[in-house]
Amino acid sequence: MLRFLLHRGGQALIAAFGVVTLVFFIQRLSGDPTALLLPETATQADIEAMRVTLGLDQPIWVQYFDFLWAMAQFDLGRSFVQNTSVWEIILSRVPQTLQLAGGALVVALVVGLPLGLIMALTRGKLVSRFVMGQVLAFQSMPTFWSGIMLILVFGVWLRWLPSSGTGSLAHLIMPSIALGLLSLATYARITRTAVLDELGKDYVRSARARGVGTGRLVRRHLMRNSLIPIISITALELSQLLAGAVIVETVFAWPGLGLLMVQSVAARDFLVVQAVVLLGAFVTIFANLAADILYSIIDPRVRLAGKL
Amino acid sequence: MKHSMKGFLSGIALAVLVTPAIARDITIDLAGEPSSLDPHMQWNPDSYYVYRNVFDNLVTRDNTGKIVPQIATEWEQASDTELTLTIREGVTFHDGSPLTPEDVVFSVKRITDPEFGSPQLGQFNQITDAKVVDGNKVVLTTAGPYPALMAQLVKLSIVPKKVVESVGNEAFNAAPVGSGPYVFDEWKRGVSVTLDQNKDYWGTAGPFEKAIFRAVPDAATRIADLQAGTADLVVSIDADAGAQLKGNAKAKLLSAPTERVGYVGLNLDKPPFNDLEMRKAASLAIDRLGITEGLLQAGEVPMAQMSSPAHFGYAPDIPAFEYDLEKAKSITAANPELAATPAVLATAPVFDQRIVQAVQQMLNDAGFNISISMTDMPTYLGIVRSDPAENSELSFGRWSCACQDADGIAYPTLHSDSNWSRVNVPEIDTLLEEARVSLDPEVRQAAYTKVHQMVRDNYYLLPMYQAAVLYGAVSDLEFEPTANESMFLNRMSVAQ
Repeated sequence: MLRFLLHRGGQALIAAFGVVTLVFFIQRLSGDPTALLLPETATQADIEAMRVTLGLDQPIWVQYFDFLWAMAQFDLGRSFVQNTSVWEIILSRVPQTLQLAGGALVVALVVGLPLGLIMALTRGKLVSRFVMGQVLAFQSMPTFWSGIMLILVFGVWLRWLPSSGTGSLAHLIMPSIALGLLSLATYARITRTAVLDELGKDYVRSARARGVGTGRLVRRHLMRNSLIPIISITALELSQLLAGAVIVETVFAWPGLGLLMVQSVAARDFLVVQAVVLLGAFVTIFANLAADILYSIIDPRVRLAGKL
Repeated sequence: MKHSMKGFLSGIALAVLVTPAIARDITIDLAGEPSSLDPHMQWNPDSYYVYRNVFDNLVTRDNTGKIVPQIATEWEQASDTELTLTIREGVTFHDGSPLTPEDVVFSVKRITDPEFGSPQLGQFNQITDAKVVDGNKVVLTTAGPYPALMAQLVKLSIVPKKVVESVGNEAFNAAPVGSGPYVFDEWKRGVSVTLDQNKDYWGTAGPFEKAIFRAVPDAATRIADLQAGTADLVVSIDADAGAQLKGNAKAKLLSAPTERVGYVGLNLDKPPFNDLEMRKAASLAIDRLGITEGLLQAGEVPMAQMSSPAHFGYAPDIPAFEYDLEKAKSITAANPELAATPAVLATAPVFDQRIVQAVQQMLNDAGFNISISMTDMPTYLGIVRSDPAENSELSFGRWSCACQDADGIAYPTLHSDSNWSRVNVPEIDTLLEEARVSLDPEVRQAAYTKVHQMVRDNYYLLPMYQAAVLYGAVSDLEFEPTANESMFLNRMSVAQ
């Protein structure tokens, strides 16, 4: 087990290093940010002075090692626009994004898993086809559109829910649905496939022969055995949710990391943008690592295969 | 029971009828949150929409654009380089301390201190000194004669010296103290800023008890908020979004031309636009009215000069550009090889790409060979500010100096010293320099008129239109948008 952990942990570290390096160089590819940080009337001398302040006058390798050193110390720098530490800005937004991601996951799991189960158990019947059509529709709707449609129907027309913003549980409902729809479809489809897979196995046939009812079969056997693909999907969905949050938070004016990203791009606050990108990458890497460890606990065969 | 309920209800109805109009709150949806509430730190509309209500400025512009007293009650040009301002008495900051001439001097020195690093430094760096004289007067000294000084002072907010010095810049930004009609209450980062009415304001504070400025980045959501009744005023919407409000009895669309001018820059050192006839053909091929009325539809006005009616130095007699595709074609047909020289139109994502594509299409219809090069902003800035040899043949841009003076828009785009300008005409340079330092408005106006005429005759660049700004508001809100895109709560009112 320790060997497995070290192996996977090492892979995660290499991935993190790769991300840090990529972020650094891609940012340099997009040109010198000083011109953006200064007003249009800035003189060449102002630009030079700003370059010195930002450390951009140093050779690129020096800048790169400075950056790595700062990252190793978890130093994300100071926002030029807000004049506050980037950590402080990021941390102030994390709770909202967690709430939203939590809300979306609840929507996706609570609706997605039963839908998948229904589709698997009613395979070939009209119900299954109808549900599948719905799920496909959820998957195909772009979030910026479904978000606005939700706002128009429930905020403007029916006035049941606040059209945008934050502050109460009611505010959380529409963004969670908008963000959860996409994952909902993924969960439903994965559950359907996993359950169908299990349904064809011998133990299901013997259970049925023993007279085990559908309810008990699903609860005791099918769901548990179908969990592996669902857990691994959750790890992937987490990064999907973070990406989707950029759009959903923008549409609903939900003050999480996604909105922070959009606002920081607009305000040219590039250290904050960089920090959000890095954070997203690290969350994805960490979630995948956690999923790997989780399956190895659920299914020891994974751990043994890890030795290969 | 039934009877008493009826009585109760009619009692309520009566109470509602006889209660005088209760003061109400206003919720304003901005696109982003303020970058800063320290008026000397950041300079973008989402910031100044908010902080201009918390702070008083030295002077201000009324809704017609005229410079009128605010903290300075009168002013006089004492010499070519000295301006004496009389400071209003009886003004207090929100912490109760009086606003003094020392605070004015402190504010000037703070924003002009290069160490402080204000993005507005360029607007005030002609001021070399500020001092208090005669108790209630402040003398500002400029490096040379500086006719745009009053126009710049419109944007100088007065901050309390004692508070800034005791709490420091960072804490001041987090909890600003001004002397304006609204008092800072709370800043929920990324969400909203709340202001309360200043009951002790020396002027009119306006009809609102509380003002909430929210950050709502999606234009469609801002419109939905307005329709749902959760916002009273929304900014930064385009004509398409605004069209949704047509026919809505509860909301209305407000529009005002701004002082931003859109233009197509030409590279005068490279073919095809080093040739006057080709430049003329390009101008003839562009249907400016089609762009403003067909595409933009927010109240933009076609322009034939690098200024607008919102600027000092605008010349109303400069004739509009002609649109005549056939004439343009006949010019390019006379020299088809030159016209077909591949030319690049540089642009960046911040600009309205509909215009850029329309310009490309119109020019190509006339026989040019234009391709669009869309790059990120730093690359675009690098291209348009590079030497003519590396510069693109064409570029699209929008210019604003936030000073409503032709100096701020014609000088950077037309003077050979400016790294934005691809024009190198000694006579234009001389005229722009003369207008920059003369304190005689007539001399300045004459110089700008001449510059505009030369640009018009020689097509040194192609002015396109005066940009407009659109707001959505609930129908009972009275708000007159102005060219400087300010949003003064104390100039708004609510219809009875």
